[in-house]
Amino acid sequence: MIAAVGLVLGIVAGLIYEPTVPTWLQPYLPIAVVAALDAVFGGMRALLDGIFDDKVFVVSFVANVVVAALVVYLGDQLGVGAQLSTGVVVVLGIRIFSNAAAIRRHLFSA
Amino acid sequence: MSRLALGRLAAAARPRATRGQLVAAVLCAALGFGLAVQVRSNQVAGLSTLSQSDLVRILDDVSQRTARLQAEARDLEDTRAAVTGGASGSRAALQEARARTRTLGILAGTVPATGPGIEFTITDPKNHVHADVLLDALEELRDAGAEAVEISSVGGEQVRVVVSTHLVDAAGGIQVDGTLLHSPYHFLVIGDPRTLAAALDIPGGVLDVLHQEGATGMVAQQDSLTITSLRPAPRPQYARPAPASGR
Repeated sequence: MIAAVGLVLGIVAGLIYEPTVPTWLQPYLPIAVVAALDAVFGGMRALLDGIFDDKVFVVSFVANVVVAALVVYLGDQLGVGAQLSTGVVVVLGIRIFSNAAAIRRHLFSA
Repeated sequence: MSRLALGRLAAAARPRATRGQLVAAVLCAALGFGLAVQVRSNQVAGLSTLSQSDLVRILDDVSQRTARLQAEARDLEDTRAAVTGGASGSRAALQEARARTRTLGILAGTVPATGPGIEFTITDPKNHVHADVLLDALEELRDAGAEAVEISSVGGEQVRVVVSTHLVDAAGGIQVDGTLLHSPYHFLVIGDPRTLAAALDIPGGVLDVLHQEGATGMVAQQDSLTITSLRPAPRPQYARPAPASGR
């Protein structure tokens, strides 16, 4: 509940303040956001599975974001940043879909 | 919706201010913030969010397209220059050819001519005026700048005088280019009226000669007269235009 409130608060704050994304962060922010989304869906699924744990959620969230950013950074250094970003997004997208499917099965039994 | 899932949701929805919950909330807030910022910046800026390699590719595409379009524009401009230049050139040539045709037509007697000039009438009741007098008159008129000349019997046949015109004495008159004319002879001459009139009137000139022969010459200056008699354009049988020298 508090997490949902925090999400809404964050969105509202972002819309209100409209900060400019610093240049060094620009390639990583979208990937980080997708990774965090994956973590959140995973957390939802764990919640419905009855195995949700605050610590696991926090660690997976932070680790997801950091690893995603790291992979993109590495890709940029290797000259395959665009392709690697696409790869990361694809993998995270697949995970989000599978998590969403599990959530759907819990909520709608289908 | 399964009862179990509902119960778990309800349990989760109950606010519990544990430290883990608070950290999760902060992280979710960070996610929401990042989401909103990223979406907004994506909407605002088109190119500024792209990576360096993407920008280089786009720049490459644009410069290639620019080069292609510039080449195309150059081609089209060349074509336009060729088309307009050719058109105006041929138009100018056509105009010049028409002007030359008119000029030559007047000289060759193949087109009607109009302009200022004189009417010159020779009345010869004693039939003493011979071809040489008329030829003298004609030469005098040509010297004075006559550009188009027509000789006729008054109320009779008309002859356009050209370079090859010849005059022959004949019974009852004078043959001009094979056409028999008789007195009174009527000249239509296009040129400067005053110069032509003065040329005929000089002492010992045409009018004096006519007077000695017992004939009378009448000169009338006109602001505008028209010569309508024509002669067919001769078609040279042997001569052909020589190619211009130097080609």
